[in-house]
Amino acid sequence: MEALSLYELNNLVRCRLEDTFVDEYWVQAELSDVRSNATGHCYLELIEKDERSNSLIARARAMIWNSTYRLLRPYFEQETGQAFVSGLKVLVRVTVTFHELYGYSLTIVDIDPSYTLGDMARRRREILRQLEEEGVLTLNKELDMPLLPRKIAVISSATAAGYGDFCNQLAGNPYGYVFYPVLFPAMMQGDRIEETIISALNRIYEHQDFWDVVVIIRGGGATSDLSGFDSYLLAANCAQFPLPVITGIGHERDDTVIDAVAHTRVKTPTAAAEYLIARMHDADLALCEQNDRLLQGVSLKLEREKQRLERNSSRLPLLFSGYRIREEKKLSGFEHRMQTALHARIMERRYKMEQLLQRIPFLLSSRIEKEKHHLQLLEQQIQASSPEKLLKRGYSITLKDGKALTDASQVKPGDHIVTRVLHGEIKSIVE
Amino acid sequence: MATKSLTYENAMKRLEQIVSQIENNELNIDQLSTSLKEAQELITFCKGKLYETDTEIKKMLESFQEKEN
Repeated sequence: MEALSLYELNNLVRCRLEDTFVDEYWVQAELSDVRSNATGHCYLELIEKDERSNSLIARARAMIWNSTYRLLRPYFEQETGQAFVSGLKVLVRVTVTFHELYGYSLTIVDIDPSYTLGDMARRRREILRQLEEEGVLTLNKELDMPLLPRKIAVISSATAAGYGDFCNQLAGNPYGYVFYPVLFPAMMQGDRIEETIISALNRIYEHQDFWDVVVIIRGGGATSDLSGFDSYLLAANCAQFPLPVITGIGHERDDTVIDAVAHTRVKTPTAAAEYLIARMHDADLALCEQNDRLLQGVSLKLEREKQRLERNSSRLPLLFSGYRIREEKKLSGFEHRMQTALHARIMERRYKMEQLLQRIPFLLSSRIEKEKHHLQLLEQQIQASSPEKLLKRGYSITLKDGKALTDASQVKPGDHIVTRVLHGEIKSIVE
Repeated sequence: MATKSLTYENAMKRLEQIVSQIENNELNIDQLSTSLKEAQELITFCKGKLYETDTEIKKMLESFQEKEN
């Protein structure tokens, strides 16, 4: 069997492949290892990962000719608000090519940004749902923004324009409020966003009592890679951070996940500074209002007291005369009542006395009659019991030695006794 | 007034309380002058927080800045 040279074999494969894959194909894949060289051609890899294990299950080299890339990249970035970088899910139209020297590769001729947008949104939704299930989604929003957010821990890139804008805006505030911003440097693009921001948050956390608020900002301008802000770990850290987090990461289109969990979301670093100034101004206005109300309240109170004093002093004579009249009336009322009572009392006594006087003769005569009657009774009794009356009737009294005898044994024979009758005495000797 | 531990929020709360007491005519004329004096002190304290640089905070800031750079 005649052997083929490698070139001949590859050429056969190429012919067969180009015969078979004549059309253009829409392919879903993830961008990887995207780079463009001085010629303006873009070289990259399209990969596919297993959804569960996340391990690679397909890979293909790909390239975009500079003529295509010049149009395709701005179109994609404008539509998605997202830089054309590794890690993005894309829907691209490709032709299949095979080169004897470079092997199998795909040439990208078109891209559908809406697919990428959809994928990014889905990823954000998934992260947000997970945070919600864990009960941490709204924790940062539930924190109270301090009345005076003065001590500001700023997470940004030292070299980015955003931080400078932020500080200038704060320092130049028209009211002269004092702010204390300190930069905690972090990467604000590329694949170290998550790691460096979390590290900055940890450094701020060490002095959490000192700081009033955390501000995460990056300069806007050209579209760049924001997918690093759509990170579960970063969002979870922000959501559970004990200080309110303000984001201003210069993304015009969609909120990133970190925007969604932050206490307050603004578009740009300048807007973040304005928010803080406005917050101070609110506090200032509230203070002025209290001041005004205090002055008004005090002058009102003084005015009221003055009126009260005047009212009382003007009413005093009137009140006094009213009082006098009332008292006088009361007094004369008393007098009258006393006189009446006295008079009634006297009349009553007089009547009683008269009654008594009238009864005296009657009482006297009835008493005399009663006594007279009593005397007559006594007289009758006395008369009835007198011995003379008995003697008259023939009774007699026998006496021995002057004493009346009532028993025969009181005498013995030979005793001298005297028997008294109505008229005279009989002297006898007892046998 | 213990200014050392006084926060802006507490100062504002106390100030609001005094103002509402005055507005609701809850203070007599003798209490009024005492409360007015306290309120003015609170306002001065709050204004200071808004407009004046706190040297202690400045010092803390410098130490943080040194660590970060």
